[in-house]
Amino acid sequence: MYPIWEVPNLTAGIVLAFIATFHILPSHLLIGAMWFNVYVETKAYRENRPELLEFIKKYTLFLLVFSYVLGSLTGIGIWSAATVANPRGISGLIHTYVWGWATEWVFFIIEVIGIFAYYYTFGKVDRKTHLKIGWIFAIGAWTTMVVIVGILAFMVSPGKLPETGNFFDGFFNQTYWPQLLMRTTLMFAIAAVYAIAVATRLKNMEVRGFITKTAAKWGIGGLILGTLLFFWYSKTLPDEASSLIGTFVPQGLKTWIIITLVLMLVYFVYANVKPLTIGLFPAIVAIAVLFGGIWSTERIREMIRKPYIIPQYMYSNQIIGHGIPSKGVSAEIKRINEIGILKVSPFVPAHLREITEENSINAGRIIALIQCSSCHTLNEKGLRPMPQMMKKVGIKEMEAVEAYLDTLGGYPHMPPFAGTGAEKGALANYLVSLNK
Amino acid sequence: MEIGTMLKALQDPMGIPFYPIVFQVLMVLTFALHIIFVNFTLGTLFLMVYGYLKSGENWRRLSKSMAKATTANVSMAMLLGVAPLLFVQVVYDPFWYVSNTLSAGWVIGFVFIMMLAYSLTYVFYLKRDFRGKGFAMFGIIAFLLFLFSGIIMHVLGYQLLLPEKWLSWYIMGNTVDTSGTSLHAFQLSRFLHFIIPSFAMTGIFLMLYAWYFKGREDFDRGYLDWVGKMGAKMAFVFTAIQAGVGFWWLFSLPLEFKFFTNPFFLAGAGLGVSLLFFLNHAQKDPVKYAIPAILGAFVTIFAMSYAREALRMEYLGRFDYSIFNYKLNIDWGSTALFLSTFVMGLVIIGYLLSVVYKSGRVSGEYVATPSMNKWGRLSIALLLSWIAVVAGLGIIISVKNYLL
Repeated sequence: MYPIWEVPNLTAGIVLAFIATFHILPSHLLIGAMWFNVYVETKAYRENRPELLEFIKKYTLFLLVFSYVLGSLTGIGIWSAATVANPRGISGLIHTYVWGWATEWVFFIIEVIGIFAYYYTFGKVDRKTHLKIGWIFAIGAWTTMVVIVGILAFMVSPGKLPETGNFFDGFFNQTYWPQLLMRTTLMFAIAAVYAIAVATRLKNMEVRGFITKTAAKWGIGGLILGTLLFFWYSKTLPDEASSLIGTFVPQGLKTWIIITLVLMLVYFVYANVKPLTIGLFPAIVAIAVLFGGIWSTERIREMIRKPYIIPQYMYSNQIIGHGIPSKGVSAEIKRINEIGILKVSPFVPAHLREITEENSINAGRIIALIQCSSCHTLNEKGLRPMPQMMKKVGIKEMEAVEAYLDTLGGYPHMPPFAGTGAEKGALANYLVSLNK
Repeated sequence: MEIGTMLKALQDPMGIPFYPIVFQVLMVLTFALHIIFVNFTLGTLFLMVYGYLKSGENWRRLSKSMAKATTANVSMAMLLGVAPLLFVQVVYDPFWYVSNTLSAGWVIGFVFIMMLAYSLTYVFYLKRDFRGKGFAMFGIIAFLLFLFSGIIMHVLGYQLLLPEKWLSWYIMGNTVDTSGTSLHAFQLSRFLHFIIPSFAMTGIFLMLYAWYFKGREDFDRGYLDWVGKMGAKMAFVFTAIQAGVGFWWLFSLPLEFKFFTNPFFLAGAGLGVSLLFFLNHAQKDPVKYAIPAILGAFVTIFAMSYAREALRMEYLGRFDYSIFNYKLNIDWGSTALFLSTFVMGLVIIGYLLSVVYKSGRVSGEYVATPSMNKWGRLSIALLLSWIAVVAGLGIIISVKNYLL
């Protein structure tokens, strides 16, 4: 167990969720946008409409600044946040998928050099060469999605990896294909929202109308296909994940996804009918609505993994719940129950390793930090705060709390308590102290 | 708990999917490339602001060029920083994760500081013709923020070398410090050894600039001579200062390491001194020596980066930690995927860089030669083939695992 990072009133996990959600805006935008760019550029050359190039230049500059300043850095930010929120979780992923990430990195280099080459060689190289750069960028950028979806899908459905330990058995798991296709279609919708926003800044009204209408069509197509693929995706989810959608995921998140889809569809249809009436402000509102929708889907994706951070392997509190014999990895629960969480964790004050009457509450707090704080704040307020949870449950006696801790593993979204009897007592003592 | 036992307990039980030497070489190589672009970023950004504040046509022109260069250098620095960030987590996971969680607030802060710095750089670049009062502040603040993000990275890299201090930084009596708001360890000589080369490397960058544009008719000879000479001078002076800082760092290391006898250190130092002599010689004709200078600098930085890795092995060897003892779970399939993708990537990246290189050397429109067109088509075909092979593999595995 590594040192814990507590974020007052939030959890480190929420910081990660915020960065990860934000990352999707520029990253998916970039992947979809280049296909849109290449399409418009080809049209400009074929139909001899050089005025369309004004849009491409503006859109590419926007991609260069927005996607590479914010996209690359939030991408690094996801790693950073995962590192400090759940180091053993990201370590488990990296030690399984390091070559996957390294492969994605190669395409990332192609993407970055590609966009700089595309932007800075505009008008400085012949048309065919410029289009070639565009195609390399578009295909290379999409390939980053081909790779990263394997790792993302693994985090929800680990496929046969827990049995075989094989990289590709985990990578091409049952949710891989529907998720890849769903994200691919939705990226066109994301690219369309931004294209409309960039088009509002164009001076040539004819070009503005053409771009907005074309983007709206891409958006409608992307949304409809993405929604249909979502149904396929939801059918492939593991049973435990599906049942959590019904029982654990707040209704608000689900409703917001439907609202987002409807609002975006209406927006695209309207943009297709009256392209010139959309100004910058409604275009930015549309991006904000989209952000809300992505936030909801990503939060749900996070929640249906519970009680795991890596399903069938590691709980969200970083304790290995199930071994992977093919990789020589053993489960930790039994050992922790025998020896004690305070004895196997290095970062514990030495005098709290042996529980006494005097240090019981302090030791209990350390146990809560290790086992609970990844999902519950220990503050009075914030995300799933422990004091409020205890008041809600309404148990005030030590014995009753201990009995409650024994039942934790029976809840579909909760990991079991791991530790000795004395440690369970200390945690119960601490929890009771929160309810006074 | 003994520190050595603690480190073993923290190592990931999954093991690593290939031999550690491969991860080490990749980590050092990509770090060397990363730090070169970090140096270029700081140096070109500095010249962008300095040139903006100075009077004279040469400075104004150089400032604009440096603004454009900085935007690309930051991107390359980030891009090349991802790889060592990945590989350090593979072989040094206990150290990296403890160092990060102990200063978690700053780890997240780093991301936002970089975003702000990069955004300010773009503001400067996009409005570079603006001559208003105080505009230089965009560049100055960006420079300071980049420097500060360097301090954060330095601290994270240094804290990981000191496992004997971790508990004292985290444990406070009955409780633990979970705020992640402290930066616990900083070593000025080590930090400066990463920063001072910014000006030496940017000197070489200027030599390359003069070399690259010498064939362009729209570039004034006098201007390019001025840039080249200034670059060569910068490269020499700051390499000399860097040598001094290097010895300062060397003498501040624990004596028990006897690092001055380490072959990696001796190789790095030897190359550094040779580079200094070479740069002195290059003052006569900076354009002529630009390419050997960058090649020499790269070899030196690669050797120095390996020396840094050897130093890390010394620090962590105190606790019997060696990446060469890491549990192995060899995965040939994914290793082959990466290596083949990497080779393919070099062909495609080579094409993109060649187009950029060739287009920049002519003042009008560059028309690709038939061989360049072939290379372009090959690049697209390689990408499509990659997708076909991986999709085919995925379909076979999916059918085998879920339909049969």
